[in-house]
Amino acid sequence: MAPPTLTPVDESIVAKHSPYGVSTGFMWDERGRWDAQIELASQVSTTAVELSALSEEEVEPLLEYLRRTPSLPFRFKSVHGPAKNRRLEESELVEVLSRFRGLCDAIVMHPDTMLDLSPYKALGSLLVIENMDARKTGGGTVRELEPVFEQLPEARFCFDVAHACSIDPSMDLAEQLLDAFASRLSHVHVSSLDEDLHHVSLTPEDEIRFTPALSRCLDVPWILEAPPPILG
Amino acid sequence: MESPLEALERRSGIRFPNLLRARDLSENKLTARRQALETLDLVRESSVVYVGSIGRAEAIEGSDDDFMLLVENSSDLPNEPSGLALVNQTLGTLDDFEAPGSQGVFAAPVVRAHLIENIGLEADDNSNTTRRMLFLLESTWASNQLYYEETLDGILERYIDQSVKDFRPPRFILNDMIRYWRTMCVDFAGKEYQGPEKWGVRNAKLRTSRKILFAGGLLPVLACAGIRKEEMIPYLKGEFVTPPTDRIASAFLDQEETIDAGARTLAAYDKFLGLLSTAEARNELETLDRNSADKSDLFQQIKKLGISIESGLLALLFQPGDSADLSRNYLVF
Repeated sequence: MAPPTLTPVDESIVAKHSPYGVSTGFMWDERGRWDAQIELASQVSTTAVELSALSEEEVEPLLEYLRRTPSLPFRFKSVHGPAKNRRLEESELVEVLSRFRGLCDAIVMHPDTMLDLSPYKALGSLLVIENMDARKTGGGTVRELEPVFEQLPEARFCFDVAHACSIDPSMDLAEQLLDAFASRLSHVHVSSLDEDLHHVSLTPEDEIRFTPALSRCLDVPWILEAPPPILG
Repeated sequence: MESPLEALERRSGIRFPNLLRARDLSENKLTARRQALETLDLVRESSVVYVGSIGRAEAIEGSDDDFMLLVENSSDLPNEPSGLALVNQTLGTLDDFEAPGSQGVFAAPVVRAHLIENIGLEADDNSNTTRRMLFLLESTWASNQLYYEETLDGILERYIDQSVKDFRPPRFILNDMIRYWRTMCVDFAGKEYQGPEKWGVRNAKLRTSRKILFAGGLLPVLACAGIRKEEMIPYLKGEFVTPPTDRIASAFLDQEETIDAGARTLAAYDKFLGLLSTAEARNELETLDRNSADKSDLFQQIKKLGISIESGLLALLFQPGDSADLSRNYLVF
């Protein structure tokens, strides 16, 4: 398997980590073609994957796909729930998401898109809350996330290291997030961000900057949110 | 004095309330049993040794009294049935005494020489291996501490033999521990073949407490790679008289970067122990088989906790650097 980052393997914490895998979120050309996304993801790693249904209309087709295809090679399967094109009421969306139980290990949601938290309690520990980037109006800091977890006591935490860096490049926030929510940690999103805060492949500079925070997450899957070198 | 488990709790900010409560309960149970057995006139060369949840300081309400009566040699045995009856009778007067399992491994006289000398080959049957491994991995004394410690010394001296080299994990004991873990896994499958009874409890324990027990032995033995041969027996003895969760906590505390992973590992185990403390959960596990487990929220929760425990231990064992090198070089072949 080719190394998953641009950093030389000897100096790369990501290249030595297991389990890792990719998010299908960057596979724009394969939208709606779940088999093709799985095939691409498998070329990087068969230990972990995050299946992205970022747009609400992708949720039901993904659910159907997973129901039809119960056996996938990945040991850890996360589903990224919708963050855009939201039309369903919260309770309706939660009802759909609850049908993923038994089909995946985690459902990631962006806290800024969850208008009413109470229905989400039904998802229990399947629900994973991701910290947001500097573009968002909330959900990026410990202070902003604490009330979310207070209302969703069983929910776990997805640590997006690049999002934390976008708010505080000193990486103090990253440490604070890990201090506050370490016990809830489910998995990690790994990438760099461009000027518009879109996910791009992890740069060697960022990998060095992120290493202390990533070192605190050695026991959970790391999901690459942008194409690793093997996928160009 | 702060235990490694308490130190991990303090340094990570992640709590282990169920494990620490279980320690207190284990200590109380042991104190009562030591006081009760003090009054007995047992032969000098014998010791009542606790294994199981009391032995590893993880007792919950209703924990079995898994003990063995260690005796010097088989010539003592003709008298031992009466000695054993005396021990059973005395322990049976305690309000919280729970008779051990019916497999014959516990509440039985055990000849010390068999534990020490019969390692490997025909005489080292399943019961002997189990008793020896539990003695090493999760035991404590309830009477005659000196005899108990001499036995521990004897077993370690047998393992740390002429084959052992400075700064190398001792392979004899390492292989026996790996063999014991794999035996538990194989026996699980064997028991499933015989019938679905207790599948849920056995599977849940294999995913959690058995894995913790194995890791609690593996980690100190691998750590012998950092010391000379003459230091190994005192080091291993010092480790094995502490609870397995302390040995694991201590290994995670050794490096700053594994503290969070260690806390999550033991928090998952803490949660499992919390679940197991309720009669409701224990009863549900008793009824589960492979098919019904898929539909049980409790079992799915335990499965996730097992994955967290395993992931944390793997992160520790395969952390880039010396740990990964040791694990690669010693745990496969």
